[in-house]
Amino acid sequence: MTDTPDITPAPDEAGPERAAVSRRRLLGAVGAGAAVAGAALGAGGAVLAHHDSGSSGADAAGSGPQTVAFRGVHQAGIATPSQDRLCFATFDVGPGATAADLRELLKTWTAAAEAMTLGNPVPGNPGDLYTPPEDTGEAAGLQPGNLTITIGYGPTLFDRRFGLAGRRPSGLVKLPHLPKDNLDPANSDGDLCVQACADDPQVAFHAVRNLRRLAFGTLVPRWMELGFGRTSSTTPQQATPRNLMGFKDGTRNIDGTDAALMGAHVWIGDEEPQRWARGGSYLVSRKIRMLMEQWDRDRLGDQQDVFGRFKSTGAPLTGKAEFDTPDFHAKSGGQYVIPADAHIRLAAHENNNGLRILRRGYSYTDGIDPETGDLMGGLFFIAFMKSPQQFITLQTALGQHDALNEYIQHIGSGLFAVPPGLAAGQDWGTQLFG
Amino acid sequence: MTRPAPTRRILACAATVVSAGLLLTACGGHDTNSSASGATAKNAGGKTATVTISITDKDCAPSPAKVPAGAVKFKVSNKNSAKVTEAELQDHGKMLGEKENLTPGLSGDFTLNLDKGTYSVYCPGADTDRTAFSVTGATTKTWKDDPQLVAATQQYGTWIDGEVKQLVTTTDAFTAAVKAGNIDEAKSLYGKARIHYERIEPTAEIWGDLDARIDGRADDAATPADFTGFHRLEQALWQKKSLAGTAKLADQLDADVKTLNSQVPSVEYQPAVIANGATDLINEIQSSKITGEEERYSHIDLLDFDGNLAGANEAVSVLMPTLKQKDAALATEIDQRYQAVLTALKSYAAKPGYEGTGYVDYRKVTDAQRRTLAQTVDAYAESVSKIAGKIA
Repeated sequence: MTDTPDITPAPDEAGPERAAVSRRRLLGAVGAGAAVAGAALGAGGAVLAHHDSGSSGADAAGSGPQTVAFRGVHQAGIATPSQDRLCFATFDVGPGATAADLRELLKTWTAAAEAMTLGNPVPGNPGDLYTPPEDTGEAAGLQPGNLTITIGYGPTLFDRRFGLAGRRPSGLVKLPHLPKDNLDPANSDGDLCVQACADDPQVAFHAVRNLRRLAFGTLVPRWMELGFGRTSSTTPQQATPRNLMGFKDGTRNIDGTDAALMGAHVWIGDEEPQRWARGGSYLVSRKIRMLMEQWDRDRLGDQQDVFGRFKSTGAPLTGKAEFDTPDFHAKSGGQYVIPADAHIRLAAHENNNGLRILRRGYSYTDGIDPETGDLMGGLFFIAFMKSPQQFITLQTALGQHDALNEYIQHIGSGLFAVPPGLAAGQDWGTQLFG
Repeated sequence: MTRPAPTRRILACAATVVSAGLLLTACGGHDTNSSASGATAKNAGGKTATVTISITDKDCAPSPAKVPAGAVKFKVSNKNSAKVTEAELQDHGKMLGEKENLTPGLSGDFTLNLDKGTYSVYCPGADTDRTAFSVTGATTKTWKDDPQLVAATQQYGTWIDGEVKQLVTTTDAFTAAVKAGNIDEAKSLYGKARIHYERIEPTAEIWGDLDARIDGRADDAATPADFTGFHRLEQALWQKKSLAGTAKLADQLDADVKTLNSQVPSVEYQPAVIANGATDLINEIQSSKITGEEERYSHIDLLDFDGNLAGANEAVSVLMPTLKQKDAALATEIDQRYQAVLTALKSYAAKPGYEGTGYVDYRKVTDAQRRTLAQTVDAYAESVSKIAGKIA
């Protein structure tokens, strides 16, 4: 962010209105109405109003205030351009916490998330020497970094604890065991998830840390992952990044700006009996460890056969340029040019009855394996879809046949229903509990 | 005794804080450009006065010697005095703030919110060890004008004094068993003394050297000979299983807790300090009890946990009447979270329990169970940390 002109005021300079608003007052205000929330957020109100009605879109990097609208028809962080960094965390509702506690927290979270996406600190009373600052402070002075905060609810949240059983989105059932799954419960599932994406890792981390702090007494953190580099593009304007195997593996992703494709494959629509979930999506997270040492020793020809693409250009083995359409019928010497077990063949919509998902993953690392000294890291896969069945179908095929399986292992998994975007004045608590 | 890296900072803070009265965050004040000092000014509704104190063999005269009421920052430096290494601000013999261990070349500061009145700067060892310092202007309304808060501080002080007296008695019994070479008896008396120390830790930490001698750990000690006090004897009893050569250590521990007992009545408690002391105690649970760090040889950590929690609850309880008036929702939340911690802790209660502590051996508590305990403690600490801002 250092090369970007400093257009957005630093949080401390954001305006006198904000400083005067206590957290309690602001939180009340969000429930009371959008006009108050807008006013409470001071300088940010204009940004809010500007993006309120349309589908969420980011300001082009470097030319605007680097904020992505928090409110809209859909939650930000799905169709919006994929930022460079991720902090993803899941939580469980703690023992003793009630539905009322959860509802109140989600309201608090809404206000805090909205403030942070505008580049403002968690609302509070900064400078009171007697009180710990409401905001932890590490994002002060940083650009908003196109921060998006996307919330999701796991299947377990709709059990009997909070009276939500009657509001369970119909597809929200724990994913079945899939071929070659080697899942660690410590890296799987959760009652809620938060996906914070930003172009600055500290901004993304700050968002999750502060939401976690606000959740003391109601939620307990379950697991958290930091993604240091995006592996997908969600708009054609973004270059396709490479994964840790050195390949471009997101070339044929859904374009987030293509409303028809998004409606057909990603957004929950009228088919869903739970009206409150329409306009939302399902988020599948998979922590996929890559056996990088083994992969790096594989000969180039085999690496390319595993993916079905050229490593250098990203072009399919049947093409010349990255975006050339793969020819899955082409043969050479009686063999498919793109092998039968190549990753792109098995994942392609042409070979899956048109099935597509929106990928929005990040590379991660957990350091060094204490047993072997090998690198621990890989792909923190995130995908959005209108039905979890899309992922189940794809992964059943990939898990059985993908040549890549020799070099990867799915070690964590989660399924979450992502609610639709918030309208002006609405908060996550009201949206969930109705 | 707080733990490794943060130890010194926290001890220094505790000293500043309790003495500084209102300003818990005064620890941040070492950096003159920090936002903390800016916030001080904002908070006091005026600017912070700065007073320079240069320690010399001769004296420690403040400059200027008179400032308006409000926030006052004392910058203390020692250019070249080997015999005078500290300066305190006193209010008729009661220490309000200090900077100590300033050997030649060192400097430091502390910030206080001072009302109109006559004070003195005291630097033991100097030819003239006391210089008058006055604060002018209108007397601002403080917690001292609120009889309920005054009663709270008195109630807390009385409770602390009582705990320290019990610490003296129980330590006496413990050290007698150590000196008699009776390992089993000493083991059963160890926890009975420890719990009183754990209840009053934020107060004991005002005297950093004393706290280090009484409650220091092996890895805090600069040399093996500096490892003394409870944990040195704990190591002898549970790890070395021999009390050979510990008689002197027992005598010193006895003497140290008696010194503590003689010092404690001079402490002036202020409401915000009591509140933040409660947060410190709960943080202690999280950083050194849940981890099993503090009682690493005896594993009676759950008893220390109980002590820290009781100390925190006493501090919270004396402030509750005021808190209920200022923020009833926070008061209710704190009460609920305290009950949650208590319930979580009591699920490990046993009779008579491991080493007579009333609790199970902490080694029997699994990692998953420790995490559950920690989560209740975290939630409680988070809400307790908001008390000071409400009652100040």
